[in-house]
Amino acid sequence: MQTNFTPEQLADPHVATSEKILRKCVHCGFCTATCPTYVTLGNELDSPRGRIYLIKDMLENGRPADAEVVTHIDRCLSCLSCTTTCPSGVDYMHLVDHARMHIEATYRRPFWNRLTRGVLAAVLPYPGRFRLALKAAALGRPFAGLLKRFKPLEPFGAMLDLAPRSLPKAAGEAGPGTYPAAGPRRGRVAILTGCAQPVLKPEINAATIRLLTRLGVEVVAPAGEVCCGSLVHHMGREAQALEAARRNVDVWLGEIEKDGLDAIIITASGCGTTIKDYGFMLRLDPAYAEKAARVSALAKDITEYLTTLDLPQQEARGLTVAYHSACSMQHGQKITIAPKVLLKKAGFAVRDPAEGHLCCGSAGTYNILQPEISGKLKARKVRNIEATKPDIIATGNIGCITQIATGTAIPILHTVELIDWAYGGTKPAVLS
Amino acid sequence: MDQIGFLEPRPAVLARRREIVADLLDLLPEGCLVHEPRELVPFETDAFVSYRRVPLAVALPETTAQVAAVLKYCHRYGVPVVPRGAGTSLSGGAIPQEDAVVVGLSKMARILEVDFANRTATVQAGVTNLAISDAVTADGYFYAPDPSSQLACTIGGNIGMNSGGAHCLKYGVTTNNLLGVKLVLIDGTIVELGGKALDAGGLDLLGVVCGGEGQLGIVTEATVRLIARPEGARPVLFGFDSSEEAGACVADVIGSGIIPVAIEFMDKPAIEICEAFAGAGYPMDVEALLIVEVEGSEAEMDAMLASIIEIARRHGVKVVKESQSATEAALIWKGRKSAFGATGRIADYICMDGTVPLGQLPHVLRGTAEIVEKYGLRVANVFHAGDGNMHPLILFNANDPEDAARAEAAGNDILKLCVDAGGCLTGEHGVGIEKRDLMRHQYADVDLAQQMAVRAAFDPQWLLNPSKVFPLEGRPAA
Amino acid sequence: MTPIHEPLSEEAAARLVQVAALSRTPLAIRGGGTRGLAAAPDGAETLSTRGLAGIVAYNPAEMTMTARAGTPLEVVEAALAEKRQMLAFEPCDLRGALGSSGIPTIGGVFATNASGPRRFVAGAARDSLLGVRFVNGRGEVVKAGGRVMKNVTGLDLVKLLAGSHGALALMTEVTFRLLPVPETATTIVVSGLNDAEAAAAMATAMAMSVEVSGAAHLPESVRGRFAGGALPDGTATVLRLEGLAASVAVRSQKLAASMARFGAVTHLDAETTARLWREIRDVAPYADGTPRPLWRVSIAPTAGHQLVAALRLEAGVDAFYDWQGGLVWLRMEADPEAALLRRYVKAVGGGHATLLRARPEVLAATAVFEPQAEAVAALSARVKASFDPAGLFVSRMVG
Repeated sequence: MQTNFTPEQLADPHVATSEKILRKCVHCGFCTATCPTYVTLGNELDSPRGRIYLIKDMLENGRPADAEVVTHIDRCLSCLSCTTTCPSGVDYMHLVDHARMHIEATYRRPFWNRLTRGVLAAVLPYPGRFRLALKAAALGRPFAGLLKRFKPLEPFGAMLDLAPRSLPKAAGEAGPGTYPAAGPRRGRVAILTGCAQPVLKPEINAATIRLLTRLGVEVVAPAGEVCCGSLVHHMGREAQALEAARRNVDVWLGEIEKDGLDAIIITASGCGTTIKDYGFMLRLDPAYAEKAARVSALAKDITEYLTTLDLPQQEARGLTVAYHSACSMQHGQKITIAPKVLLKKAGFAVRDPAEGHLCCGSAGTYNILQPEISGKLKARKVRNIEATKPDIIATGNIGCITQIATGTAIPILHTVELIDWAYGGTKPAVLS
Repeated sequence: MDQIGFLEPRPAVLARRREIVADLLDLLPEGCLVHEPRELVPFETDAFVSYRRVPLAVALPETTAQVAAVLKYCHRYGVPVVPRGAGTSLSGGAIPQEDAVVVGLSKMARILEVDFANRTATVQAGVTNLAISDAVTADGYFYAPDPSSQLACTIGGNIGMNSGGAHCLKYGVTTNNLLGVKLVLIDGTIVELGGKALDAGGLDLLGVVCGGEGQLGIVTEATVRLIARPEGARPVLFGFDSSEEAGACVADVIGSGIIPVAIEFMDKPAIEICEAFAGAGYPMDVEALLIVEVEGSEAEMDAMLASIIEIARRHGVKVVKESQSATEAALIWKGRKSAFGATGRIADYICMDGTVPLGQLPHVLRGTAEIVEKYGLRVANVFHAGDGNMHPLILFNANDPEDAARAEAAGNDILKLCVDAGGCLTGEHGVGIEKRDLMRHQYADVDLAQQMAVRAAFDPQWLLNPSKVFPLEGRPAA
Repeated sequence: MTPIHEPLSEEAAARLVQVAALSRTPLAIRGGGTRGLAAAPDGAETLSTRGLAGIVAYNPAEMTMTARAGTPLEVVEAALAEKRQMLAFEPCDLRGALGSSGIPTIGGVFATNASGPRRFVAGAARDSLLGVRFVNGRGEVVKAGGRVMKNVTGLDLVKLLAGSHGALALMTEVTFRLLPVPETATTIVVSGLNDAEAAAAMATAMAMSVEVSGAAHLPESVRGRFAGGALPDGTATVLRLEGLAASVAVRSQKLAASMARFGAVTHLDAETTARLWREIRDVAPYADGTPRPLWRVSIAPTAGHQLVAALRLEAGVDAFYDWQGGLVWLRMEADPEAALLRRYVKAVGGGHATLLRARPEVLAATAVFEPQAEAVAALSARVKASFDPAGLFVSRMVG
């Protein structure tokens, strides 16, 4: 597509990157078809092509963001379904990242919106604060309906809906430290502890560590690690995101230099997408560019890593699993086959729900900030999943687990919990 | 080279912009009218990005009644209307104009009825082409016309352009698979043409609405024919040392009385582009590639393939490669169907769509190469060879206005070459804005006058998509 | 006796129309005159295509032919047979049924969109027509379409002219698409099904991937009049398969196995198959030498038998079905019962009924074509006026 930028504008490296991305788009419109918000709202402005055009217009004219543009960019789930679809290779992810930074820098959001986003950015990445907030939520739940009646407070109502009824004990979390391999060591990996996931579902990392160590892999959960930065990154709070990225890069490089790492294992695909992008995010920071690229190259989703361990075929268990591929898994990291192959090998009958490319509406903080669209996507996702009549739903991202669990009675687990069980681990509690 | 002109905006309409927006807001539910200037910009073009015009407003109705209300209003106040499906037109069929209200069907995307006993599906116009096949595939059916943009393009847009696709060689194009429509005329009248019964009871108005490029009315619902899926289908790759040999092979296959479901052609640049995106395993050491798909029972496919291979050998075929699995077959088609978009990875392009009699394929391929070379440009050829429907993609740099002008001029020369070879300007993309001024090369004035008279019978004031299809001069007065 | 004009060239035809336009003389266009509907009304003169005959171009390798409108169909078909090609839509010859004489012309075939049994899968005459030259009501020679299969350059006037029954223009030359003649053909006969069972059986057959190219149901009353009585006793539901011999063998086995649960299955050889489908195409059982009203009803396939069942309760009617039930040939005992029939057509989901045969005074007094919704009729009238502003061409299709 033709672009109109001045040489001065192109001197800004972010603009230069975006210009290159825009030039690749041929405006064919394929992306509209697989975009969850276009499919839901039927307005091109809420499709990748429409957003690309809005961003292009804003950047070319060097305009501050305005309410209209912000509305449509905010509605983007960053599910990246469009990038899977795009034949021209348009790097929508980095374009919309740039747009979000531009919005954050040039647009003053209305008070309630600012407040909501501020609260989320100050709470979610910090497990301690998050745990506290969830406890408070238990008290606040009776007011959810009331909150939702007042539009600006709707996100708080949504938060209360999403908060789990009961919280696992903090003791269940796998704390920092080294978990040695059982038997001869065949590898050494670091595991991302994460922020929200260990509070909501500590059993995921616990299962991962059990499984890996049983398979002869030493697992280290390094101290000093922070949230990967994805939550604030998607809000356009780039400084905060880069700060998190730098700290994590330092922590992991320390481990690499100490005892070497075969991989950095991530059990939440949303985090995986971001960590794999550290190299790009820090490309303009001479002190970190190379280090970040090294970290990104080592980052692996747990299912990616397990595939390299060549697990044996287990006997059929007579259980049907609907595999829900998180967007960050299938579109962000392009991991599509590995989880299903693992589940089949583990003895489960695996079903692919229809419209698997569509987001469940979780998308980080999306289900809080855009409850209406998120709710519609959740209903559609649950309908498609339930149509496969599964015994269990498996997925690789905590966001999807939380989201889908509020829409169905079918137990939903992380893929690794099922793999752990199939290869000698404990049976997940919800299945007993 | 002059830019293709649009009609001058009607000053009376522009002057009333605010009232028009206010009135349309009254006619439509919340969230169904786009009117903020910045929000209108993304609607200024479709997949023919060389031309752009920001519309006055964009209506996104949810029902046929709302479409009728908007048209009735625009008819009353003389406001031009440009219908839009998914905006995937390669000829600029959905590009608006400054004084026009775009009527987008994207919110009308429900499948209304699937009737397997009668093998029909009735859908709203905003349903995508592929969604129809997706909805019936589990029951063993499909909807046959398959434009490469089938993932995104809507059935309403397909009807507007009478879209084709790779598999039309056997199953025909949209008009051959369309049974009925609900059509809103410019004055807001809703008519139903056709239905589950075959053939028309009176004049075949459905036949002229299909391919009417949104100038005869706005289709809001369509009933289409479903076909039982064949027992099997197998795409086979045939690699040749020259485009001419591949072209001659196509003519001989068809001439021998064998009609495969599809015969697709790619030259070397196109093979490289598509392979880079899809990883389909296309042979890379050939100058031209044919994808020939046969279908039916194993016995039938074997018999057909044997005959085709024999003909291909006579043309010195270098590589014959059968797809080994359903996944591989899907990749072969994914690569082919993404060809245009994938070209975006290496350059901007405009895509031609002339059709020529099969015997003329080698001649026109040669001529195309000469023309493009003359303008100092590059070309990738990827097209539906079985029915002579050529798609030279002329590569250029959109940020260089001179390059863009050269590309347009080369395109015009190629289309004239197609017409002079006994073919036509457009096989499946439609005239749109792109080929409008070439219409006189294909038709005499009297031929065009007759078409325009029919058009005016539907829309006497020329309000529907008025800048398209017919040259701006010599139109009958409203 | 009204004058009959037989121009020998397109230019002469155009001049003739120009002159008629000046004198406001209505013209009734006639091809072979085999339809019986072409008798010019009072005051009209007949414009015949008989003098515009001959194949202009035949390109077997591209599977297209161009012929002048008055070229006898048999001449076209003979030329095609030499190259083992055919018209995919199986044009019918209704002379027997209509008791008419004359020689069917290729122009007449397209002007009436006359399509036979293969129509429901391979398309109608209109789907094979690629290009037309015609003289409109202004006496202008116009061309539309071309000679390639895929062509969306401008409005598709070709479709409008196909089946326009002389209401819009005088077609002078037609270019059409051809298909290779299938290597062989066979017919599966399922015996003893009632109309409703036959509808279910045919729907099942069409849902299979065996490419049925003909699906008809012949009730007991007509079955004996087909194929020289070679069909087994009882009703006959007949399904045709065509193609390469090896493939037809496999497919017919598969189809027969599936149909066995509906009724007794027998096979017909290629020769009997050809005869049977020709007779279905030409409505042979109603070629009875009588003027009893004959209707051609186009309807949703599953509605065909419902329509007939409803009519049987109120009128003397005999019927058989083609196009999987979507084409009903109805013969009334006495009165055409147009109002009754059309009411029931609407009731079972819509379609259209065309009266092809009746006593002349009945034909003249009945709306032979399906009356259209008001808005559609008005639109059709405007479209006709765009070809023929003075209303020179008289036709019963657009009033």
